[in-house]
Parts: sequence; structure tokens; C-alpha cells
Amino acid sequence: MVARMRPAFRGTELGLIFWVALLVGLGFLAVIGAGASALQASSLIVPATFVAVAVALHLFLAVRGSRGDQLLLPLALGLTAIGLVMVERLAPPVLLLQQLTWTVVAAGAFVAATLIPRDLTVLARYKYSWALAGIALLASPLLPVIGRELNGARIWIGLGDLLNFQPAEAVKILLVIFFASYLEENRELLASAPARRLGSVVPPLAYLVPIVLMWVLAMGVMVLQKDLGATLIFFGIFLAMIYLATGRATYALTGVVLLLAGGSLAARVFAHVGARIDVWLAPFSDELRFGAGYQLVQGLFALGNGGLLGAGLGNGMPDRIPVVWSDFVFAAFTEEVGFIGAIGLLALYLVLVFRGMSIALRAPTPFLQLLAAGLSFGLAFQTLVIVGGNAKLIPLTGVTLPFLSYGGSSLVTNFVIIALLIRVSDITVRVRGG
Amino acid sequence: MIRPIAANIRSLTLVIALAFLATSMGVAYWSLVQAAELSADPFNPRLLATLRDRPRGAIVAADGTVLASSARSGSGYARKYADRSLAQAIGYASYTYGTSGVEAAYAESLIGRDAADPISQWRARYLGEQSPPASVRVAIVPAVQRAAAAALGDRRGAVIALDPRTGGILASVSQPGYDPNLIVDPATQDLAWQQVNGNVGKPLIDRARQGLYPPGSTFKLVTAAAALERGLDPKAKIRVDDPYQADPSWGSYTVKSPSQAHGDFDLSLAFQRSENIYFAKIGLQTGGARLAEYAARFGIGSVPRCELSAAKGQIATGGQLDRPILVADTSFGQGELLVSPLQMALVTATIARGGSLPVPHYATAVVDAAGNTLRLIEPGALAQAIKPETAATIGAAMVAAVEGPGAFAFGARIPGVRVAGKTGTAENASGLPHGWFVGFAPAESPVAVVAVLIENSPGGGEDAAPVGAAVLRSALGR
Repeated sequence: MVARMRPAFRGTELGLIFWVALLVGLGFLAVIGAGASALQASSLIVPATFVAVAVALHLFLAVRGSRGDQLLLPLALGLTAIGLVMVERLAPPVLLLQQLTWTVVAAGAFVAATLIPRDLTVLARYKYSWALAGIALLASPLLPVIGRELNGARIWIGLGDLLNFQPAEAVKILLVIFFASYLEENRELLASAPARRLGSVVPPLAYLVPIVLMWVLAMGVMVLQKDLGATLIFFGIFLAMIYLATGRATYALTGVVLLLAGGSLAARVFAHVGARIDVWLAPFSDELRFGAGYQLVQGLFALGNGGLLGAGLGNGMPDRIPVVWSDFVFAAFTEEVGFIGAIGLLALYLVLVFRGMSIALRAPTPFLQLLAAGLSFGLAFQTLVIVGGNAKLIPLTGVTLPFLSYGGSSLVTNFVIIALLIRVSDITVRVRGG
Repeated sequence: MIRPIAANIRSLTLVIALAFLATSMGVAYWSLVQAAELSADPFNPRLLATLRDRPRGAIVAADGTVLASSARSGSGYARKYADRSLAQAIGYASYTYGTSGVEAAYAESLIGRDAADPISQWRARYLGEQSPPASVRVAIVPAVQRAAAAALGDRRGAVIALDPRTGGILASVSQPGYDPNLIVDPATQDLAWQQVNGNVGKPLIDRARQGLYPPGSTFKLVTAAAALERGLDPKAKIRVDDPYQADPSWGSYTVKSPSQAHGDFDLSLAFQRSENIYFAKIGLQTGGARLAEYAARFGIGSVPRCELSAAKGQIATGGQLDRPILVADTSFGQGELLVSPLQMALVTATIARGGSLPVPHYATAVVDAAGNTLRLIEPGALAQAIKPETAATIGAAMVAAVEGPGAFAFGARIPGVRVAGKTGTAENASGLPHGWFVGFAPAESPVAVVAVLIENSPGGGEDAAPVGAAVLRSALGR
């Protein structure tokens, strides 16, 4: 942790940010040129502010002398740029300015997460505090005064007219930190203790306790807050990290079985869960296409209209999808830039995830390895869950498409993840040299 | 001993990559494979959007009468329908509630993106240019349609008439109806939609093609065809004694004669008097498997090939005629049979045209804005279902059923024209029997086929026959 202040030249990053600037400029131009939104002050302010923020983040890392990965920040900024273009394209103007505000807040969070704590290993030391903080944050929407219920789910906090925040997003990071440190300590026990008995695939009961506890927590979130998306993401991250730590697929498979069992039970007991499953199975049925299935059906129409090359930015009709800018931004994007564009977008996410995983591979300690891999998996999994939901591969859950969907909590969280990944990579370079 | 974390990271990354691949394939399924089907979906707003800001093509009857048209109204265009008795056949095109009927089946043609015109499709898609909409010409003949609507009146049921030579649908009425103009007018649409959907009579359902009923005695056409092709001599006398039981194992179950008959019947007389016992006997002789096969040949139990959706009906709940009582019941159109009026019209048309099953169609041509025909809709006929001689024998028996002494279907007579027909009175679970009539005219060279169904009709087939006659008379121009 010495020689931090010697500036570093981050040429690759700067070069890529130039292309990101071009992307946001052309995107706004295309949307306005197609007549999908009117030319107004915000059409200039938003791209200009965004580019300023992007360059500022680059300079911040350069001045601080970070020797971490140079692709992550441009990738995150590129996806954010596409997100801003889509919000300009799809959402009411007031949401665009809010999203810009959130981008600035997210950049602030990126800076903060790079500076604090000064030593990342501190995170491992206070693991139970992080777990408790996570649970408290998760429960905070249930509190009076600051808790908010929006669109039927009590998963928001806010003060007065201040921007609403979904704490479940931030809890993701706390959970990964907690798991990384817990598993670093206990992985040997979990992995080696039960001798492999012939014909037995299920680990002994005692070792399933953490899985069951996490399962209870996830089901609690689903029941109390009706937040299927968060349930799925938490549990998915948990299973992936157990696997990462122990290398035993049986843990993950047991978890998947538990999740499916819990899900199918919940589908019977809770109307809101059952409704999602019904919509997923037959959105085009006469009873659902004008009711609960309307959003998904309109989303599939958008995908279909995309075809190979897309209708052209600003030329599709994705605005018929209710709340398209958060749940269905992927379908809207595909309608206008086509299957080719969708593949390109998924490739960006995949490169981002590969980058994160390769940072994890080289990280010097198991804690840092688990941290980087867990965070990268979270990004990948969330992308797959929402894109899979848009394409009717799995039931739709209201999680955001990282960086792209309208929504501040998600943007802030994801920029913190990027900051943490760059830090892990920075530490690796310093420890290993070169 | 314990696997290194790095190895686990590699495996997990591989799983993620595979999941991305699978997800991409899922996206490809919708945006490439299913694209055409999704864009043709009647509820896809991309097709409907064009309703508002530009005119939609007209739907024009055989004689040039405009049945559906777009007129400028305020900032957009409003759809107008000329004949509410065609509500279910022509359908509606609403920005909010989607499209139905011909409006749905030809939605792309009507907004200038007919499949036969790929250049317009391409221009619309990639250049944003909108070609002027094409109009769709339908086989509906307004005079026949009016006659059908007037003859049915406000009785619940359906009338469908088609030209046996082409399969073109000349008239189609389904009662109760609704006013499509109210559904496409933004000022009245919500209330109208609520009322139409809340109506216990289910006016949105086109009873002609989507309603399913037991066919009653009209099914005897099929039984006769199956028996004749197995070698039944139409002149052979078969003894009828009311009531009939094949053997004591039937218990209390018997087949009853509509005229409490005791005597000898041949095919012609059996048609005239609609003698159930005669048909039960020839059905049992023919056998359940063969009877089911012939019903299937006539299209019962499978979805008719048609541009509009139509019900498939059933031969029996289990798909097989495997019990003697069921075979006997099915032979005179009861049992577990369910058919749509369209299917019975197709059975009748098959007899009228010498044994091949026609493909029904509403539209006859798609015509572009300049008046050039983009494509003709002439689906032709399916394979021969029965031999021409069989069809001729049944046709002659159907003439006897209308014209012969004491004929049940006497109500279908038209002076100066030989009419072939068959009435039916179908027992059902919903109350009074349904009245049926199927027929064609002129018997020697048929130009029109009609199927009439009146739900829960006091007079059964006797109520339906005059409706059929009115439609045939109008189709013959008399």
C-alpha cells in the first residue's frame, strides 16, 4: 500500500473511453434524428455531463496511480451510455435527468469504494458485521417512515421526495463480502469433511445448515417483500460461491433442488408467485394476454420485430411495453438494433464477466479470489436472469439489466462492484509485480 | 485434496459462457424464428398502430360493396363497417383490443405489407416508407348475406353459405351479433368491449366456424357414404321396427324412429323420413372404425384449412367408435359427435361437388392501391374423400329428402329448382334440440351450399329448412 500517489498512465482505458463518448453522442443523435424524442436542453446536457463524468473517473484512477484492469471501467461506462440512450429513447424526460443524477452519484460511489476502506482485507475481518448490516438493510423497507411500497413490492427506502433506493441491490455486495470471508475460513471443512461414500450424493446434514439458513433468508425475502428477483439473485450468488469455495457441485445441486421446491410451493401458496409462473407458461392465452401477461407478450412482440438487423434506433415501437425502461430494456434494445445488436450487447457483458473472472483467477488470497469471482458472477447471473425473463426462457422477475436499466440503486451498486474489481486487480499487480 | 479455487472459477466461467450461449439462442428464437408469427399476431400493436395515422385497406364484397373502410376522422383514421351481420366474419381492427376475423387474417395486406409484395415490406421496414394499403376482396355476396341474416332473424345460431365449386364463403351469420363500429370507436370501445365480453350469448364467437354442436341427422350424409362405399345397395330394403335394439346387452337403451315406423326402408326413403333405425343398422353393419374413418375423411375432428381460425370438433370423446351403442348413436348424428356449421357445410359441399373436400376461404384476392391484383386466393380442393358415384347417390337421396312425398325437409323447396337437403334435430344437454339444415342447389349443377344451425329451436330441423331455402334462393338469384 505504498507508492499509491505516483500517477499511472492508463492509455487503453482513455482510448476506450473515447469510443464510449462517441457511442453516447451518436446514440442521442440517432434517437433524436429518428424523431423518437425531441431536441431539448437535456439532449446536450446529458451526453456532455456523462462524458465529463467518464473522463473524471479515468483521471481519478490515473492520478491515484491505479494499476488495475483498464477494460472494466470503459465497459461499464459503455453499458451505462447505452442505458442513457435507451432512457432518452424510452422514458419520460424527467427520468433521463434522474438517471443522469444517479450516474453522477454512481461515479461518487465508485470513487468512495476505491478510497474506503484503505485496506480491502479489512472487509474480511468484520464479516459478521457485514452480514448483519446486509440483513438490516434488507429489512429496512419494512420500517415505517423510510420504507416505501412501489408497484406492489415493499423493497424501497426513501426520505421525503429524495430519490428512492432499493437496498436489496446494495445487499448483494455485502453478501458477497460476507460469503467470501466466511468461506475462506470454512472452505476446507465444508469441502473435505464428509468422506465421499459410494452412492451418496447428498452431503451430511450438518454441512447443509448454512445452505438451509440462506434458503430460509431467501424465502423470507420472497414472502415478506414479494421480491422474486432479489430472492433468485441472492440464492444464486450464494450457491455459486459455495461451489467456488468447495468445488463440490453437490452443494449447488442441493441448493437448486431446494430453490425449485421452495419456488413450486410458493407458486401454490402465494398468488403473486403463481401468477408469474402462469404468465411464463402461457402468456399468449386469452385470459392473460390482456392481463398479467400483457407486459411479456408486448416484450416478445418487440423481440420479434427486431429481426436480424432491428428496426433502427428510434424506429421501433417498444414504448408499448409497460415500464419498458426498467424491466424490458433488453427487449426494447433488441427491437431497435436487432439480434445482431443483442448479441453484441451480451458479448459486452460476457467480456466484462470474463475480465472479472480472470482478475479472480490471479488474485493473491482466497478471500480476494472469492470476492472478485462472486461479484462477477452476480453481474453475469443478474444479466442472465433478466434477459432470460425477457426471452421467456425463465419466469420474469423484476431485476435490472446491470448498467442499462433505468434505476439508481442498481447503477450505484454496479459501479461499486467495478471499483472493487479494479482494486482487486490493482492489488494483484502490486503483489505479483508487473 | 481440496480443489483449488482457480479451478472452480474456470468451471464456473464455462457454465456462465454456456448460459450466455443458451440465452442468445432463446433471443434468436423470438427475434428470428418466431418473428413472422409474432408480427402477424392480431394483438401486435405494430400492425395496429397504422390504424391511427394512416388509412387501412378496404374489405370489398364480391359485387364491389365496401364492407370495411377507413375514413379520416380528426387527426387519424376511423374504421367503418357496413354490415353488422358480418361482425364475426369480417371482424374488427381496434387499436386497443386487437383484430379478429378477416381483419386479423389479412392484417398485413391491409396495411400495405402483403407477403406477395416483399419490396413494400422491405421499404416499410428499413426505409420507414409506408406503401399504400392493399384492399382485400372477399367472396361474400351482400344479397345472400342479407337473405341469411333476415331468415335467421334474432334466433341464436349460425348460417354459412359457400360456393362448392371454389370454396368461397358467400354468406356467414352468427347470432347473437354485435356492432363492430362500437368496438373500433375510441369513444365507445371500452363500454362496448365490456358489454360484448359480458354477454352470456358470447357474440364474439363466430358460431359458424367456432361453435360446436351435435350434428343430428345431417350426419347421415357421412354414415351413408361410409355404408355405400362398403357395398350397401341403396335400393335394398331394410326392416325398421320402432323401437330398435340390436341385442339384449343394450339393456334399456333403444334407437327410436322419428315417425314410429314399422316397414321396409331403402336409402332414399330413409333420407326422406330421416329414419334413425335404418341408419343405426347400416352404421353397425359398416362398423365403428370405418364410420370414424369416413367422418375423418370429411374433416370432422380436424381443424379446417381456412384463413380464419375454426374449431375441429370431435368424432367421439375418446377418438374411437368402439362400443356398439356409440356406433349406433353416432350413425344418426348423436353419440359424442361435435361439429361446426362450417364443417357440415364442407361435408355437404363434398357431396355437391362429386366427392372432393373443398378448402373454404373468405378472401378471393388482395388488390393493391393501383387496382392491380397482388395475389388471388384460390386454395382449390383437397383429395377425393369419397367416390363420385357415392356422392351422386347421396345427392339423389338428399333431393328425395326435400322433394319426395312426406319429406321432412319439405320446407327447403324452391319452386322451379331441384334442391338437395337434409334436416337434423340434434338432442343436446342445453335444453331444446338444435335445428339443422344442410343443402345445395341446383341439385344437378350446384352453385351454392348452405348449412343452418338454430340453437334450441322448438321445431328442430323444420325451423332450419326454410332459412336454408331462403339463402339458396338468394344465391340462385331468385
